[in-house]
Amino acid sequence: MRLKQAVLVAGIGLLAACLPLVAHHSFAAEFDSTKAITLQGVVTKLDWMNPHIWIYLDTKDDSGAVAHWQCEGGPPNTLTRNGWTKDSLKIGDQVNIEGFRSKDGSNTCNARSVKLPNGKSVFAGSAEDGGPNKRAPGQ
Amino acid sequence: MKVCTVTFAIAVLLPAMVLGQGSAPSAAVPRTPDGKPDLSGLWQRPYVPDMTKTNKDQSQIGIADLPFTDAGLKAWKSYDAANGDYTGSCLPFGLMRSMNSPDPIQIMQSPQYVALLYEQNTWFHVIPIDKPHHDGATPTWFGDSVGHWDGDTFVVDTVNFNGRTRLDTIGHPHSDALHVIERFTRTDAKHIAYEVTIDDPRTFTKPWTNKRTFTLRPDWEIMEYSCEENNKDLYEGHIKPPPR
Repeated sequence: MRLKQAVLVAGIGLLAACLPLVAHHSFAAEFDSTKAITLQGVVTKLDWMNPHIWIYLDTKDDSGAVAHWQCEGGPPNTLTRNGWTKDSLKIGDQVNIEGFRSKDGSNTCNARSVKLPNGKSVFAGSAEDGGPNKRAPGQ
Repeated sequence: MKVCTVTFAIAVLLPAMVLGQGSAPSAAVPRTPDGKPDLSGLWQRPYVPDMTKTNKDQSQIGIADLPFTDAGLKAWKSYDAANGDYTGSCLPFGLMRSMNSPDPIQIMQSPQYVALLYEQNTWFHVIPIDKPHHDGATPTWFGDSVGHWDGDTFVVDTVNFNGRTRLDTIGHPHSDALHVIERFTRTDAKHIAYEVTIDDPRTFTKPWTNKRTFTLRPDWEIMEYSCEENNKDLYEGHIKPPPR
């Protein structure tokens, strides 16, 4: 696969689901549990706003072409209670996001895991919104 | 990972607090000047996206097989959130989906009223005590609630729903004939045993019950939650508004 943000088809476990973070809407209303995705890129913006935070990142494929992505995270209230702040992730940070693509085919994802290059999880906690907490076998 | 650590601690501690297990002596239950158990405080609750499930820590106990009527089963089998989950449009969650939300609730209590302040979308619901249901009122998202004390348990009876909501995130259905009976029992200084009975003869052949434990969080304060603030899911068309 040429794209670093390639949709994975191997059964790789996502993050452990620790705390519920999302209830604003059903996962199935927007995202496709059969379209697991891994993105590696640079953070360009963070919306620390209700009802969910959004992480914006730029990824590059092997040819150097840049793609703009946006990924939904948990509500800022819950993240705050779990010790995270809007400064926990900074513009320019390199991140690895595992999640699921939106059903509409846009460069939009639901982030189930956000990790820095040192392996540290940011905004940890999975979205118990009816969506998958790990990829199903064969996906 | 801090989140996992907290979760693990909760998972270890909560089983001792499970509903129906060894309630603390009544002397430990705070009381208001009129002698009623004091339900006031900010309460952390288990998130219940699917009322048929039971949490591993037993903080929420559901029943696996809901007793659907034919119409109820049809409504359940035909539901597709992708065709318009009303909560994604920031419409009111309604009583049950608000009670099932993961964010805490603030309970305020007087001899005449109990008010539930939901952090989820900053909604509130006021329950008059020892009053009759409104006669002929317009059906609403949260329904028409009245409360009374049954000994040390506060019982809330709610009817007159508009039928536009779902019971939980996964989308279990109900009709506008929904009748909800909630029982709040403060079992000790730090916990409320919550039991809710779903009675909807159009959707279910018999009433069924779900039980939970709420935990007092004096270290938390209720926070503002604006669903509309940056609802990109809807504004950018990633989700559909519900059928009207």
